[in-house]
Amino acid sequence: MNIVTIPLRNMRRKPAKTLLLLTVFLLGVISIVALYQVSLVVGHSLEKKLTAFGANIVVKPSTEKLSVSYGGFHMGDMLLDVKDLRETETTTAIRSIELNDRISVVAPKLVNMFRVDEVAVAVVGVRWEQEIGIKSYWATDGTIPERSDQILLGVLAARKLGLGTGDLLTLKDRQFEISGVLYETGSDDDSVILMDLSTLQALVAQPEAVSFVEVAALCAGCPIEDIVAQIQTNLPKTSVIALQNVVNQRMSSVRFVQKLALSISLVILITASAMVGLSMVSAVNERKKDIGILRSLGYGKKRVFLIFCLEAAIIGGLAGTLGYLAGFGISLKALEYLGLTDVARPLFSVTQLAFCGLVFPLITVLSALYPAWKGSSIEPSQALVSL
Amino acid sequence: MLSAVDIEKSFPYEDAEVKVLKGVTVHLDEGDYVAIVGRSGSGKTTLLNVLSTLVRPDNGLLTYEGADLSSAAEKELNEIRRADFSVIFQFHHLLPYLSVLENTLLPFMGTLRPVSGQLQQRALDCLDRVGLADKARRLPGSLSGGEQQRVAIARALVKSSKILFADEPTGSLDRTTGEQIMELLAELHGEGLTIVMVTLERAFAQLARRTIEIEDGLIIH
Repeated sequence: MNIVTIPLRNMRRKPAKTLLLLTVFLLGVISIVALYQVSLVVGHSLEKKLTAFGANIVVKPSTEKLSVSYGGFHMGDMLLDVKDLRETETTTAIRSIELNDRISVVAPKLVNMFRVDEVAVAVVGVRWEQEIGIKSYWATDGTIPERSDQILLGVLAARKLGLGTGDLLTLKDRQFEISGVLYETGSDDDSVILMDLSTLQALVAQPEAVSFVEVAALCAGCPIEDIVAQIQTNLPKTSVIALQNVVNQRMSSVRFVQKLALSISLVILITASAMVGLSMVSAVNERKKDIGILRSLGYGKKRVFLIFCLEAAIIGGLAGTLGYLAGFGISLKALEYLGLTDVARPLFSVTQLAFCGLVFPLITVLSALYPAWKGSSIEPSQALVSL
Repeated sequence: MLSAVDIEKSFPYEDAEVKVLKGVTVHLDEGDYVAIVGRSGSGKTTLLNVLSTLVRPDNGLLTYEGADLSSAAEKELNEIRRADFSVIFQFHHLLPYLSVLENTLLPFMGTLRPVSGQLQQRALDCLDRVGLADKARRLPGSLSGGEQQRVAIARALVKSSKILFADEPTGSLDRTTGEQIMELLAELHGEGLTIVMVTLERAFAQLARRTIEIEDGLIIH
């Protein structure tokens, strides 16, 4: 029996009104929690899908570029001191950054030039599993190479060499079977020959050598700059570049989903808070007699104010706690319905539950502040008119 | 103990100010039992409300045990109302959603600290004193008017109030019940409680030690 008993008993006196108010705010909290959980998973799923369309960070050796002109003749830009990266050392360093859980694919590459029947062509060595991870849009008329003596041709390279799927190609006295020709991608892949990285390293007698490494990072909630900085720290002698346009494009899609969810949540929250505020206004008008009795018993303005605030806080606390539990359950069902449970599942968090149990009472109290202040400002003499 | 000197009080009515008390002086001694009588609208209830600090006077001096209450801070007045004064009204003196026991303990429920078991026992004893111990868990709505008045009196007893202000305590009750309430007040006065009562009933007023008659905002007797 203390001051909390007063609002609790009053709420019990009018169960229908209390239940209606609780339901309104509960629905608000459920919608917000469910929207938040669903938007997180949808954002994650969207980001995963977008990651399949290329890398967003490139790690390459540090070089010095020199623009050479002599005797009025411009000889173009020359790269000085180009040293290939070491594959194991580089990929391990990338994978060991603090934000390694945000890295989905690390795809090393070695680029070399060859002549095939007097035709110059670039050969790119790749790790097939990693490469397909960032280029799921690849489509071929054959298959992706499964053996080390198989290669894949870009559509322009195949046309230039007059070769097709199933043909044989000799590179440095070693014969390779063309397992497939890529359909046009509109990228540099159209003009090159792609082969297993280890095979190319052996062919050019450069074991462990890679020209550059492409990295696909998931960046919802983490700035790409942080990942770049951490890779740069681990690999100080390299040049780490974020492809900002790619990142920004992905993030804007994810942020759109999250902003939409936030906007809807805000509208719901404001509506529910307005309901609490209005309910408190009518409660103050209905309870002038109660205020008179309390004031005659020595309850000061602060205590009357506290009684109304406690009433709002109880509604908010119940709605926040029950709303989180129900919202979480509904988000699971919604994600099942959307077929997104295989991508990610919302994680039940005690911290989030506690947050809801604390923040929503605060919101209801804020909504009730004005009516509570009005109620507490009623002088005993005014309230006594009602008696 | 409690003194009101030259008390004036006006209330706004439509566009004008109506002077309800026009310089009233009252002195209460410890153990006093005063009945305020007068016609309807004469200013009896306003005088009671001024004396019980529920209404601040416009002019005049109100002192309680030497302290000036006319200009006292709200906090001081709350403390006096909580500890020393008790008011019972003609109607609506109980919170309808609290049990009889909780209504009796209402003056002690103003903080987050739970009411002690000792106080709860005292409240039960006081309810027993007014014949309502068996109805401690009931809601006021299930009690008769006389029983509700007795709960309000029990509340004053739990507080160990020094002064009980009663505004027409029998006004809503039948004759027999009214007499029972008056007997209870007389009994409490006999035990040393100071009582100030507004009543329209001359017979009940005669039970008091002295009577103040008020007419048109002035004491005439």
